Amino acid sequence: MEKLPDKFLWKALKEGDLNAFSVLFESYYPDLHSYGLKISKNTALTEDTLQDFFLYVFEHKQNLSDLDTIAPYLFTSYKRFLLKVMKKNNKLTRTDFPEDTFVDLQFTAEEIMTEQETTIFRNKNLSVLLNKLPSRQKEAIYLKYYSGLKASEISEIMGINYQSVINTLHKAIKSLKEEMAIIKLFKL
Amino acid sequence: MIKKQYNTINDFLEDVSFKNWALQNNGTDINFWEFWIANNPEKNELVNKAKDLVLGVSFNKDLVSKEKVAFEWKKLEAKIQEKTKTKIKAPKAKVIFLRKFSAAASVLLIMSLGFYFLSSTAKITHKTNFGEILNIKLQDGSDVTLNSNSRLSYYKNETRRVWLSGEAFFQVDKKIVTQAKFWVITKDLSVEVYGTSFNVSTKKEKTAVFLEEGNIWLKLKNGADKKMIPGNYISYSAEENKILEDKNIFNPIIKTSWKDGSLLFENLSLEKAMEKIEESYGYSIVFKDDNSKDILITGAVPITNIDICIKAIEKSTGVLIVKKENDLIISKK
Repeated sequence: MEKLPDKFLWKALKEGDLNAFSVLFESYYPDLHSYGLKISKNTALTEDTLQDFFLYVFEHKQNLSDLDTIAPYLFTSYKRFLLKVMKKNNKLTRTDFPEDTFVDLQFTAEEIMTEQETTIFRNKNLSVLLNKLPSRQKEAIYLKYYSGLKASEISEIMGINYQSVINTLHKAIKSLKEEMAIIKLFKL
Repeated sequence: MIKKQYNTINDFLEDVSFKNWALQNNGTDINFWEFWIANNPEKNELVNKAKDLVLGVSFNKDLVSKEKVAFEWKKLEAKIQEKTKTKIKAPKAKVIFLRKFSAAASVLLIMSLGFYFLSSTAKITHKTNFGEILNIKLQDGSDVTLNSNSRLSYYKNETRRVWLSGEAFFQVDKKIVTQAKFWVITKDLSVEVYGTSFNVSTKKEKTAVFLEEGNIWLKLKNGADKKMIPGNYISYSAEENKILEDKNIFNPIIKTSWKDGSLLFENLSLEKAMEKIEESYGYSIVFKDDNSKDILITGAVPITNIDICIKAIEKSTGVLIVKKENDLIISKK
């Protein structure tokens, strides 16, 4: 399936259409903001880098390749952009920071919805269990259920194939369910 | 329901009706899948696995507000404009044939060519404030009525592709010779048109389209296409990735009366009616008691004069409405 509006937006942006760029900005800013905040845990840094990142995209619009869906490009490039800045800042303050683009996302209890009808997990401890998952699984969970991306888009962002995304997600859900069952057992 | 093979987990995951069942969204799909699962017990494990994946983890999303996004965009826009201002170069124009004219005349011509070049790709934006309606005639002959607090923009050389936020009523001129289509693009979808009249509204995290006559295609942001026939009213949210409303409206005036300067209510609760007032005039609505919310209202109120509007609502519902700064406070008399 092709995403027509995305394709249009991208084409119009490449032609220098500021209006198309504003639509793009409005539709992706909130999710990129959350994503940046999750990675950096720093609002000011997230917002500064988002400004610089979008300015960078607009200034280099002629060099952008044709895209059918924009989300994978924006998520991947912004993450790289943000990590670069974080690394630079960290070098200046001389603290430890992993060398590769390794991100370990952390979830809080407030972020998890427990009252909804159609949810598998109704336990307030879910965030604790989530945080114990391997970082790849956490990232896949975040991109799928928080950012609402499709598996095909996540596969581009994480650099793994479609089936691996499905497997990673399933593995994560499965171990959450198992952990949950154990907790319940002990409570009895 | 399409009878097809479900052999791998992907077959389920890519199936819209399966998703609807997992999320308990759609009655027909729920019935179908309950029947299907009972008749295919060997697929139970696969079904449960796929269901888990569809449901996943439910997050309380804490996204930045619309106002914040608008603020950040203004900041970025200013930076972009600052940069492009310093970079504008004179447009290249082939002027060899101009040699027969005198130097002065050719300079004049180059200047006007340059002006033409610049102006033909210039972006034109029409904006309305609260309580304001604007009639726009596009270069191709199409008529647009822009509702209050809305924005319509397009390029001067491409007036058959317009961007909309807010609400507008379109009467698109058929281009019989070129068969050229007309496009309306919003954050949720784009409308593909070939001569017709319809209403597009992007209020409150969704885009709603009402087709008065002719036929149009919606291209939703999730990639799906949707054909509309006259009387259809469809609203879609890209954020929730679903069609919120899909119904027929037999009294089209209800959806389009705003363009003639009035809002029509037909047995609408006061709460819903006041939402419309909020959208048109930009006031926040405060109900002092819950009973007043359920009063039904039928009638027409103006959308460019708040005082007359308040009086009309007070008269037909018997409540008291007080205008205070940016609030409309509603209480029993």
